This record gives sequence, C-alpha cells and structure tokens, in this order.
Amino acid sequence: MALFIEKPLAFVWRDFINETSYKFSFLLQFFGIFISTLIFFFLSKLLGDTGASYLKPYGGNYFSFVLIGIAFYSYLGISIHSISKSIREGQMFGTLEALLVTQTGIPTIIISSSLYSFIWASFRVAVYLLLGGLVFGVNMGNANLVGALLILILTILSFGSLGIISASFIMIFKRGDPVSRFFTGISTLLGGLYYPVSVLPEWLQNLSYLLPITYSLEGMRLALLKGYSLSMLMPNIAPLVIFSVIMLPISIMAFGYAIKRAKIEGTLTHY
Amino acid sequence: MLYAVETLNLTKRFPVQKRYRDLLLRPFYSKEITALKDVNIKARKGEIFGLLGPNGAGKTTLIKILCTLILPTSGKAFVNGLDVTKNEKKIKKIIGYVVSDERSFYWRLTGRQNLFFFAKLNNIPNREASITIERLLEFMELTHDADRMFKDYSTGMRQKLAIARGLLTDPEIIFMDEPTRSLDPITAQNLRKLIKEKIVGEAKKTVFISTHNLHEAEELCDRIAIIHRGEVKITGTVEEIKRKLDPNRRYVIKLKNPQNGLLQSIYNLTSAGKVKVIPDGPFPCNTQIEVETTDSNGSISQVVKEIVGMGGDICSLYEKELSLEELFLEVIDTENRMAGR
Repeated sequence: MALFIEKPLAFVWRDFINETSYKFSFLLQFFGIFISTLIFFFLSKLLGDTGASYLKPYGGNYFSFVLIGIAFYSYLGISIHSISKSIREGQMFGTLEALLVTQTGIPTIIISSSLYSFIWASFRVAVYLLLGGLVFGVNMGNANLVGALLILILTILSFGSLGIISASFIMIFKRGDPVSRFFTGISTLLGGLYYPVSVLPEWLQNLSYLLPITYSLEGMRLALLKGYSLSMLMPNIAPLVIFSVIMLPISIMAFGYAIKRAKIEGTLTHY
Repeated sequence: MLYAVETLNLTKRFPVQKRYRDLLLRPFYSKEITALKDVNIKARKGEIFGLLGPNGAGKTTLIKILCTLILPTSGKAFVNGLDVTKNEKKIKKIIGYVVSDERSFYWRLTGRQNLFFFAKLNNIPNREASITIERLLEFMELTHDADRMFKDYSTGMRQKLAIARGLLTDPEIIFMDEPTRSLDPITAQNLRKLIKEKIVGEAKKTVFISTHNLHEAEELCDRIAIIHRGEVKITGTVEEIKRKLDPNRRYVIKLKNPQNGLLQSIYNLTSAGKVKVIPDGPFPCNTQIEVETTDSNGSISQVVKEIVGMGGDICSLYEKELSLEELFLEVIDTENRMAGR
C-alpha cells in the first residue's frame, strides 16, 4: 500500500488501540450519543410547533434541525481542536520528540494525529443520523448525499485551517490559544447550532454570516433534510470555498513559521 | 576525512522567557542564554563518542541539533557530511535517536505495537517491519515481553525498547541521550555491554552518547569530549585526556615505620615535586607517601634511591592513576574558579 496512506493509517491504528484499551470509557461514549439524542428528542417534543416559522426552511421539525446541528458540529470542534490537541498531548506526554525524528514530515504527523478523531466523529454522526431516522422518525429520504459530503469536506477544510492556526499558537505559546476559543464560542452562539440564525437580532445575523459554521450547518440541513441540489446549495458552498482558499495557505504559512520559531527557541517539545 | 559527526564553532543561544514585568516595561528587550559556545568536535565513523558533562552543560542541546530538532544560532554541524540545517530529511534516514525519556512511548500499546508504529513512520513496509522488529526484539532480549503493554515494562526494558526503536532503520549513526539514566547499576552495566558488544561490535554502528556518568564514559567510549557550560573543554581518548590534564606522574610509596627525621627529609627531596605524607597506617607499613614527579624519565628512581639512602625501608611502590572523575572535577573546578564561584 502506498506509504502516504500507510502512515495516516498507522496513526489511526495507534489511536484505536489506545482508545479501545480504555474499555469503560469507550463503551460510555456510545451511551453518551444515545442520551444526547434522547435529550434533544424530548426538548423538541416540549417545544412542539413553537418555532415552526423559523424552522420552516429546514422542514419545520426542531429535532431534525438540532440533530443535524449537533451531529456535524462535532466536525467543527475536531477540526479546530484536534490538531492543537495532538501537539499539546505530544508535548506533554513526551511522544512528540520521538515522532519528529522519524522520516515523517511534521504536517503528516500533525494531520494524521487528528484522523482518528475525524473517523470517530463520522461514526458518531452516522449513529446520530441512524438513531434519528430509525428510532425518532427523522425523514431524510430526499437527502442529497453528494451535496452533504461536499459541504462536509469544505467544512473540514475551512475549520481545519483554523485548527492549524490554533496549533501554531500552541506550538509557540503552549497554552491559551485564542483562535479555537474565539471561534468555538462565537460559532456556538451565532452559527445556528441549537437555533436557526433567523432568530437572532439582525446585527447578530450579519455577524453570523462571517462565520463558516453558519454556511456549513445550513448547507448540511438543506442537503440532508430538504434534498437541495448542488446548484441550490451554492450560496452555502461558495463562502466555504472562499474561506478555505484564503485561510488554508495562511494557516500553512503560520504553521511553518511556528515550527521554525520553536526550533530556534528549542521549545518544540516543551509544554 | 568524512566524520560521522562534525561541528564547527557551533553556537546555540536560547532566548530567555520574559517575566511579566519585562513584558510591560521592556517589551522589546530580549535576553539570551548561551547553551553551546563555539563547539568543535569530530566523531569518527565506527567509534563510540562520548559527550561528558554535568547537568545543564549543553549535551542534550548538541544532540538535538545533530538530530535536526533544534536549529543552531551560528556555526555548522554535519552528520555524515550533511549540514543539519539543510538536509533534515537525509539526516533522519541515517540516524537513530534513542530518547531516554520513557514517556516517548505509547504506554497502552505493547512493545511490539510501539515498534511497529515507529517503523511505519520510518517508511518501513509491513513485512520488512515485522521481520526487523522480531530481530530487534531478539537482539535486545525483549522477545518474551514484546506483547506486554509498555506501561508494564521495567525501566531497563523501556530503555532497551528505546534502543530497539533507535535501531529500526538500521541507521549508520545512533545518538543516545543519557541511555542509562535512572537504571540500576546492574541493568546499566548490561546495557553498556550491549552497546559496546552488540551495537558497535556486531552491528558496526557509530554511537554518539551523552552522559554525566564518568565511569560509563571511561568504560564505554573510544573518545570523549568534556563539555561544561556549553564549551568543549577537551577532547580525546581517556588516556589522552589524562595525559593532557595531568602530565605529572604520581606514585605511592609505603614505608615501614619511618623515623620523624626521615619524613622531614623526604619533604625536602629535590627530586620529588609535591609530597604528601599519610601517617598512622596499618602496621608494619604504617606510612604512605604520595610523590608527584614532574619528569617521567626516571626521577622516581632518584626519589627511591634517596629514601633508601636516608635509611628508609620501602614496603611497596606503585603508580597512582587519576581517575577520569578526578580529572573531570579538575576541569570543572578550574572553570568554576575562573568564573569566580
């Protein structure tokens, strides 16, 4: 198998063995998925048709709306946090130095270190959607899976670039990365995770359109719940493309600078 | 001549982390500490080269520069003729780095799984990795414990696994940063034997090792460099270093029940340099004299002749060699005195 696949797979294999060795915690995660789905199911029953007008563009059902929100929001969290987390863990556990003297480039190490989190998140999303569809009656019969996949990839790319910038902060300052804190907080508040953006005051709505999460979640809901075609999804796809095209090169440059500075200061493995 | 490791006026300065007060009052002021200063060393291929120095001397910094983990401030460093600042990828292919930190492994993976993971990161295909790992486990006498989680390994086993990891790519040069640190004396001895006999003797590797253990340096290394406060004080074989630092010879003469007058006369001997008398030893050879001669061509014969001529009864005489430890302390003491400590 080509080496460029083998190395990321080795990281996934390492993390899988590590995670499954904590058996209780591993099993507990499945339980957590079920509980959170159940919580939102009952919340949606309580709300009933209260917010129907706001939810109309997404099919009018709060449970479907929030289920897709929480399912895909995890990608945002992972994209932003997992790279810096893997650096921080490598620094703290002492494994980073051993990784850095191998014949694997730093970008491969860093990106591969977060792969398991993405796979696990995808698995969680699949379980969320299955539970939603089979147990709680969420209708995704018309879903545009290609559109959803495209939006997912663009989401990962755009948030991944923020994650790389966040990792650059961690590489230099070790703690207190402002990027992930700011974007996670502001995205949760304004991105339309638990409620549609349309419930926000107009000035906050305008702010929300500066965030990629807004386009990601809306695009994902429209693709999965309403089966929008690719052309109909363009208002959501285009901003994500622009965001990725601008932010990815910036983030890679920032990361390169951070590594060089850490090598000069000798703090590559400090924490 | 192509050296395994060569440094030319290698200097490394680290910025000192600013305090809150400095951040506010002098935000643009930067202070640096010198970790390495004009380091010049040459390690030949196939030898065990030891970097000997106290904690904080700059040993780890030097090894990390050679392993491309830290960039030098000035000067040059070459590994197998490759510049460390320009050939990171090529250097990583020919070196093995034995990190002595046991946290550098994944504790919930087995020894074998850890090695397999690092083999993949070193571009070793699956089949070859399995064969290499099996061979290395056997080489390091870890075969029976290969499938135990790393967390259940003893410190000695962890260190052996670290060496096995360093050997995964069959590197030409192996860097070891204090490999016997925190090992008990017997395990450390076994590990030294393994490095000398198997890694260098059988596998013909070049080993560049840092240590603060003088006994280890003396026992293991073909040549050593004594490093202190970032500066290499002296380089050579242990014998060469001893000769350079201590050209005089010391002899211990045991005398049988000497009279006071005799001892006084010995103090005044012109043929001897420094004389130290240690009386009240066990009967009958109850007095020990340490004589330092400045001329190795027979002056001890003159001393002996004069003592006998004055009526002294010599029980025994032997040459006393300064241990590397004593020489090392002399280097450090001289340095400290010069620094006004």
